[in-house]
Amino acid sequence: MRRYIVIMLGFLITLIFISCDKGIEPLEVVGPSGFEGKVTFEGSWPEGIKRTHLVVFKEPIKTVDDFFLPNLSFVVDSIPYGTTEYSYNSIDKPFSSIFKFAAGNYKYVVVAQSKTPEITFNRADWTVVGVYCESGNQTSPKTMIVLPGKIANDININVNFQNPPPQPPM
Amino acid sequence: MKKYFLILVLLPLLTMNAQNGIFSGRIINEKAEPVFGASVIIVGTSFGTSANEFGQFEIKNIPNGIYSIHVSSVSYEKRTISNVQINESTKPLNVILKEALIQTEQIIVSAGKYEQRVQDLTVSTAVLQPEIISKKNHLTFDDLLRYVPGIQMNLEQVSIRGSSGYSKGAGARVLVALNGLPMYSGDNGDIVWEMIPVADIERVEIIKGPASSLYGSTAIGGVINIITKSTVKKPITNFRSYFGAYDKPSYDVWKWNNTYRQFYGAELTHSNSYKDLGYTVSIKKFDNDSYRQNDFTKRYLGYIKLNYNLTEENKLTFFANYLSMNRGNFLYWKDSRNALVPKDEDNGNTVRSNRIFTGLIYHHHFSEFLTTEIKTSYYRTKFTGYGLEETTSIADLVRGEALANYKASDEFLFTAGLELSHANISSNIFRNPTFMGGAGYAQAEYKGIPNLILTAGLRYDYIKMDSTSGKNAVTPRAGLNYKFTKDLILRASVGTGFRAPTPSEVFTSTAVGGGVSVIENPNLTYETSFSFEIGTHYTMRDISLDAAFYQTDYNNFIEPNLTKEGDIQFLNISKARIQGLELVADWNILPALLTFSTGYNYMWSRDIEKNKSMKYRPRNTVYTNLRFTPWQFEIGVDFRYWSKVEEIDFALAEPPLALVVDGEQRVPAYITDLMVGYNFFVMNIPAKVYLNAKNIFNYNYVEFIGNLAPIRNYSLSFELFF
Repeated sequence: MRRYIVIMLGFLITLIFISCDKGIEPLEVVGPSGFEGKVTFEGSWPEGIKRTHLVVFKEPIKTVDDFFLPNLSFVVDSIPYGTTEYSYNSIDKPFSSIFKFAAGNYKYVVVAQSKTPEITFNRADWTVVGVYCESGNQTSPKTMIVLPGKIANDININVNFQNPPPQPPM
Repeated sequence: MKKYFLILVLLPLLTMNAQNGIFSGRIINEKAEPVFGASVIIVGTSFGTSANEFGQFEIKNIPNGIYSIHVSSVSYEKRTISNVQINESTKPLNVILKEALIQTEQIIVSAGKYEQRVQDLTVSTAVLQPEIISKKNHLTFDDLLRYVPGIQMNLEQVSIRGSSGYSKGAGARVLVALNGLPMYSGDNGDIVWEMIPVADIERVEIIKGPASSLYGSTAIGGVINIITKSTVKKPITNFRSYFGAYDKPSYDVWKWNNTYRQFYGAELTHSNSYKDLGYTVSIKKFDNDSYRQNDFTKRYLGYIKLNYNLTEENKLTFFANYLSMNRGNFLYWKDSRNALVPKDEDNGNTVRSNRIFTGLIYHHHFSEFLTTEIKTSYYRTKFTGYGLEETTSIADLVRGEALANYKASDEFLFTAGLELSHANISSNIFRNPTFMGGAGYAQAEYKGIPNLILTAGLRYDYIKMDSTSGKNAVTPRAGLNYKFTKDLILRASVGTGFRAPTPSEVFTSTAVGGGVSVIENPNLTYETSFSFEIGTHYTMRDISLDAAFYQTDYNNFIEPNLTKEGDIQFLNISKARIQGLELVADWNILPALLTFSTGYNYMWSRDIEKNKSMKYRPRNTVYTNLRFTPWQFEIGVDFRYWSKVEEIDFALAEPPLALVVDGEQRVPAYITDLMVGYNFFVMNIPAKVYLNAKNIFNYNYVEFIGNLAPIRNYSLSFELFF
């Protein structure tokens, strides 16, 4: 009998031991995370462009579907046609309140244009005209790193209409 | 205090007086039902007898003295009562037998749609006894399932061996049936657990694994069949009531209310028979203020069942239950700092619903070789959701089945049946579709080889939903059961399954908040599966062990997913695979005094296309129960563990949508419950009292994103029989 009581007590003590953790806790509040910078345009704007957006992707575009949600992480408000220099801040200029931006590493940040007046989810409607990259090498996108509660600065992209970057899969 | 405790404990023994050489009494089970045929033996003498149909016994002409009494019956734990003094004034003795933890002769009907012994089955099963519901004060039936190895509950959605993730009640992969009549609704295809008449449950049979070859579409993951009680010969009235309260949350920041949130309920059930008519009537009210804001439920349930023996060979059973429910609609928490408060836009949302489910079963016994059953059911559901949009749906589902069992010889048994079903839906979120299905099935069992049982079956289904094209499915299966010895049994089964999408999965079109909508998918096609299982069961004296390896491959598996447009849509995943190992052990450490049972499930689920785990499927789960029953007390400890789920609806929890702030928060779960009960029957007081403390360490976990599971709560429940 004593042996079984020891088994029972052992069982109960084990439960208490492994249940000491409280599980889910309230997370601390951190300030807003975001990014800011400047987009510069060189050369003549193509005819018929209706939309120009700075678009942030979590991962590089490997398939057509990667161009849209959920890999599509943020869209900055539309850049007016003919602009030569556009300063932005992700907190002040989101395209839609649906998009919630969070700290993290974003491996493909681009400027994309479309000739359709409305936002479409057809990959063929979009052309990438500028890439956030190192030393102007648009074939090598640079990862944008945003820390929790911080604003990443100098996320600058140069768009040269005469020298477009490689296009992701269509 | 100690003195009163001793009096309470010894009172049953003090009441054992005599009546001049006659030792008499009554043998009942924990449901206060007589145990017909229970054996009563006075140890060391030749005196003994059996209990009659009312559980009563009487032994005369016993020499005065102090004796030990053995009381036993099949399916019950044997009891020995020591130091019983039999003399001139011995009073009648009431003995309560408890259901045996290891049941060797359990009969079930769900595996093959005919009576089979559990040890003859080719598939994994579990059988639950209903008294556990009142003992542990499970507020709704699904709470009971949270303690069954191999079953995982994601909020109200049941999953057997990983068959389902979570889809907010739209569609099910486990068929829940009442006396074999499916209880899924015509629109959502969901199970409303509150509908189940808990007071009339005889047992719950669970088939762990695909059963489409007998039950069709919804049974692709398994079957939970609730068998109601037989007709009683003496009137019995049962009143059960409970009251409980939730503790304060773990963190002050989570407090949203200064009161202890309460839950309470009362149920009155009466059963009797008049000549050939047996009846059961039950009414129940059960409310829950909830530990979360806007998560209340107010419910009324009415239930009636009539059993009429037309002749010796013909029986008719009719039942109906009606549920009225008004509840808050808590979808997701506001964030982890407001884990018990809904999102602002959801606060105040409510759902009102009314449901009626009726069934009629006609059983005809042609001969000892041939029996038939005709089963029909009608299920009407109506709900109105008040929130961002007003959503309504009314669904009428009619179902019929004709079933025949033919025993061709001692070796061959055939089962065959036909099914028809039709649903009409009128809704502003599912369109107004109609649904119809027809099916035929047959199964054979062969016992011609010693120690071996072989089964083979086939089912054909035709399903047509509204304007979508009709679909055909053929689902064969085969199984074997081989007994190496009486105590060592091997079982194996292989088969296919299919599941048609429900109207809600195809046609739902509604906003869910945050700019995100659920959109319809008329191209959704049915999913299919191929599965096999091999298992073994070993019994040695007081220990029973069961092990099973299982694998299911799914094609076109249906799950809600985020579209590239940012909407939620039910889509067919091309391929998925679930493999697992389940171990279950029961140990009567000290028979009738101390028992231990445990179950472990390792599950490897993969979305093969994405090479990721499937959503809401923990890889490891452990369920453990320890029960100590000294005298008329009962003390139980339950422990449940499951590992942190790898995949959730990240698209809802993470940017860019982040519909559920901090929704990625999830942890392994460690939940411990404690139960203490006392049975007054032995003192001739027909009452039982139970005190339950659930989640005693107040561990905070989620079953689904943004939904903190119940925090520590206490309840007191009692039952009276008269």
